[in-house]
Amino acid sequence: MNATSLALSDDLSQIGTIVAFSLVVVSLGLLLAELRRKGKPFRAAFIWGTLATLAFAGAVFRPVHVTAKQSSLGPRVVVLVDESRRMRMRDQKGTRSDAARQAVEDLSRHFTDARLTVLGFGDGEPRPYVPERLATDRESDLLSALGALARAPGERPQSVVVVSDGRLTRPLETEPGGQIQQWASNLQIPIHTVGLVRSAPKDASLRQVRAAGAAVAHQPLRISVEVGCEGLDCSQIPVKIRELLLGEQPVVLAAGVVNAENGIGRAELEVTLDRAGSRVLEVSIEPPSGDTIAENDTRTLTFSVARERVRLLHLAGRPTYDVRALRNWLKSDESVDVVAFFILRGDFDDPGASESELALIRFPVDELFTQHLPSFDAVILQDIDAIKYKLEPHLVRLRDYVQKGGGLIMVGGPSSFAGGNYAGTPIDQVLPVEQPRQGKAFDSEEFVPAYTEAGRAAPVTRGLRTLLGNDLPLMAGTNLLGLPRSGAIVLLQHPELTVSGKPMPTLALGEAGDGRSIALGLDSTQRLAFGQLAASVQGRAYGALWDGLLGWLMRDPRYEAARVELEHECIAGEPLELVVHRLPGMAGDVDVSLEPLLPTRRTSLTQHLADNHSATLNATLPPQAAGGYAVRVSVGAAPPTRQDIACERGGSAWADSRPDNARLQAISSTSKGTFVDRDQIDQLPRTDSVKVTRERRTRPVLPAWIWALSASLLLGAHWIARRRGGLA
Amino acid sequence: MTMLGRRERALGRRAFSECVLLSAAALVTQTWTRRAKGFGQEGGFNPRLLGTSGTPPLDPERESGLSRWAWELVRRTSAPAQLITEHIAVDDPKLENEPFAVWAGSHAVKPLLGTERRALRRFLDLGGVLFVDDGDPGRGEFGQSARAELARVLPEVPIAVLPEQHVIYKSYYLVERPVGRVLGPTSMEAMVRGRQVQVLFSSHDLLGALAHGSGETFSLPMEGENEAEMRQRAIRLAVNIAMYVLCSDYKDDQVHAEELMRRRGRAHSR
Repeated sequence: MNATSLALSDDLSQIGTIVAFSLVVVSLGLLLAELRRKGKPFRAAFIWGTLATLAFAGAVFRPVHVTAKQSSLGPRVVVLVDESRRMRMRDQKGTRSDAARQAVEDLSRHFTDARLTVLGFGDGEPRPYVPERLATDRESDLLSALGALARAPGERPQSVVVVSDGRLTRPLETEPGGQIQQWASNLQIPIHTVGLVRSAPKDASLRQVRAAGAAVAHQPLRISVEVGCEGLDCSQIPVKIRELLLGEQPVVLAAGVVNAENGIGRAELEVTLDRAGSRVLEVSIEPPSGDTIAENDTRTLTFSVARERVRLLHLAGRPTYDVRALRNWLKSDESVDVVAFFILRGDFDDPGASESELALIRFPVDELFTQHLPSFDAVILQDIDAIKYKLEPHLVRLRDYVQKGGGLIMVGGPSSFAGGNYAGTPIDQVLPVEQPRQGKAFDSEEFVPAYTEAGRAAPVTRGLRTLLGNDLPLMAGTNLLGLPRSGAIVLLQHPELTVSGKPMPTLALGEAGDGRSIALGLDSTQRLAFGQLAASVQGRAYGALWDGLLGWLMRDPRYEAARVELEHECIAGEPLELVVHRLPGMAGDVDVSLEPLLPTRRTSLTQHLADNHSATLNATLPPQAAGGYAVRVSVGAAPPTRQDIACERGGSAWADSRPDNARLQAISSTSKGTFVDRDQIDQLPRTDSVKVTRERRTRPVLPAWIWALSASLLLGAHWIARRRGGLA
Repeated sequence: MTMLGRRERALGRRAFSECVLLSAAALVTQTWTRRAKGFGQEGGFNPRLLGTSGTPPLDPERESGLSRWAWELVRRTSAPAQLITEHIAVDDPKLENEPFAVWAGSHAVKPLLGTERRALRRFLDLGGVLFVDDGDPGRGEFGQSARAELARVLPEVPIAVLPEQHVIYKSYYLVERPVGRVLGPTSMEAMVRGRQVQVLFSSHDLLGALAHGSGETFSLPMEGENEAEMRQRAIRLAVNIAMYVLCSDYKDDQVHAEELMRRRGRAHSR
């Protein structure tokens, strides 16, 4: 299509045009004023003057004919398709992603003349929509996507169409119009919305699980559970909370029933977590019959459990200076709450006094181990005979306690380890070293223990090594210990004694199920508190050793070689991305291993990361099934760090399966757009085409010299007319 | 004779043969202990006799009380102890090897040398406990001079009366008041840092009550009407002091407190 028009010469500047035009107007004005003053005799001069001025203007402006070839272009329409993980929710007709794909096809047909740009939105900036791509974004952040469109250079779209189920992360459910307002005013275009789901599926789900305050070990924690229910018999929905433990059957912590007849119901459940650190809780409902989405019936969540005070049970078979040193250190730490029982009188001791004259109480071994054991964070057994003091029947409980997350330290002495009849008992399964079943139980030769490579690398001993370097005091003999168990780390070893050809361990750490244990085959660590070497550092070395041991046992991050965290929420079937932060000074290759918490799923996997001297390393592990996992990270020779994590099937994105078409309507109405269901796409308003000039030609109305000649001649005629009229 | 006295005599007869055996064992172990204490014996109660340049030598009877102290502890409790008395000079670096020492005498001590004061201060700063026993509390020369010296060693710590509820009086036996060879004052004095008694002053000649000759006899007579009962009380106090050194304030723990309060209440009501 051709279009013709008149225009001024292209070579005139804007200022020149204005000046010339002003001169023409002023000239004509002066002529007119002169005509009014002089009257009729001046009429001819006025006519010639006007013509001369116009001819002069023509010479300056040199008007041209413009011929342009124009075409009509379809409007630019941007389609934003929700690509959050929630779009993988399925109903009878397929997934919401399937519906979105169909909607995009329908939009393509509806906006036939438009230039359609289809983008996917989710976690941040929108990117080109690929129908085959699996929707994996954790969020559906429409505001970020609109912001990116507003900032993008080039042609603005004439309209935006949002394809979603409306359950967006942003704008929020409350006042979506208000939040969309600023983006709409920036873009100044209508935002149309297409609702993918018309009605809520028949589904009972865990909408929200929230803890009231921080989780603190041994203290009740209220957990608020919100259950949503649509289209089902929602009057009685059982809910329970279980703790997932490594290698153990899950433990039910709380249970209740929720009435969600009005679409939503809440339960307040109280749980008490006995172990600090990362604990994995599974919250689940038993959905009513007819529930269509099973993935949101269970939430597996990691709770970071803090510890107000470390609660310790310290049992000693007899009072010695070593017991004194440990007790004084434990009592000096305000964060430690110690319950101690020392055997002060044995069966063959004769105090020569009646019971009422003695300040002795019965050793309540049965009560301690049957009733109170779970309330302790760790148990210290120091030189106490298992049979003589009737611990032996409770060693199964003690083993289970450790495997469920408790801590155990066995401190050396003639009645510790094999000498205390612990060899061949259930304790064998949780100690980090084997115990000899025959032969001598201990060796009385003095010696100086030696650090192993792990001992020099471990943060556990860093405090001690900072004070004493690699020096250690002379120790008065040692318990005879066996080889370290699989996974155990030996920190100190005997310089001469060997086991199966390897140096005998004297201090070893290990993990047992969910708990940790320490074997210290020495009964004279008090020489770190008293003695000439100890005096050189004012006796602080003893505290440094025990700070490290107890800190490691209690999973204090200061004594771990690394810190592990999830890059983002772990979702079953998607790669598991971890971030490993190494403690300053921790060097060496990093090994990351993953082990399911449930005892029925014992397969684990390991990934090796070469040392790149970076403080932070990223590890991507293959997709996992839903559940709890123990992640272990080893840095160099140092003892491994463990962090428990949870992987979910639906996660928070699937918690609420209902569509939110009201939010989509609010977004549209705020921006003067239109909301339609996915089968009403043909009702969306079409936007007018844009006209685009493709070719432009110019041709002068008259050659420039004709304008100039005409102006000269007419000016001459004007002069003659003035002379004849008697004007100067 | 009171119940306490009869029990004491019976205990003494039974103990006679044990005492002979233990003495023999002590002789055998003497050379061994000088070399190394060995596994399990390292942390045993060891009442080392402190010597200073200005302390007159302790008389042999009272010095024997130290081994008797250890022996009574082993016999009556589960605690291990060193039966051979060890002498330690205050400026010997080995003073810092263990947390307990006894400073005893009957005569005034000369002022500590600067090195001795500093060494004693280091020992106490590490958390050591010093028992100061006046062998002649009637004159009180040793006690007064030792107090003066210790006030110079720990000038910031006052010497105060140990309250009767202190854990030392219930660390093994329920002891109502301190008793030694002499009945003495109804309380002991102490220098307390933090929660710990670091220096304990006895004006009761405790080592005199423990001083023993051959066999079951004790060397020094007790001052008082019922000698056997008084000696038994002195031994109980000695055992309690040893238990305090080994367990510190263990018997102040909440798990013990209620039961012990009840027992004390019953004893008072009787």
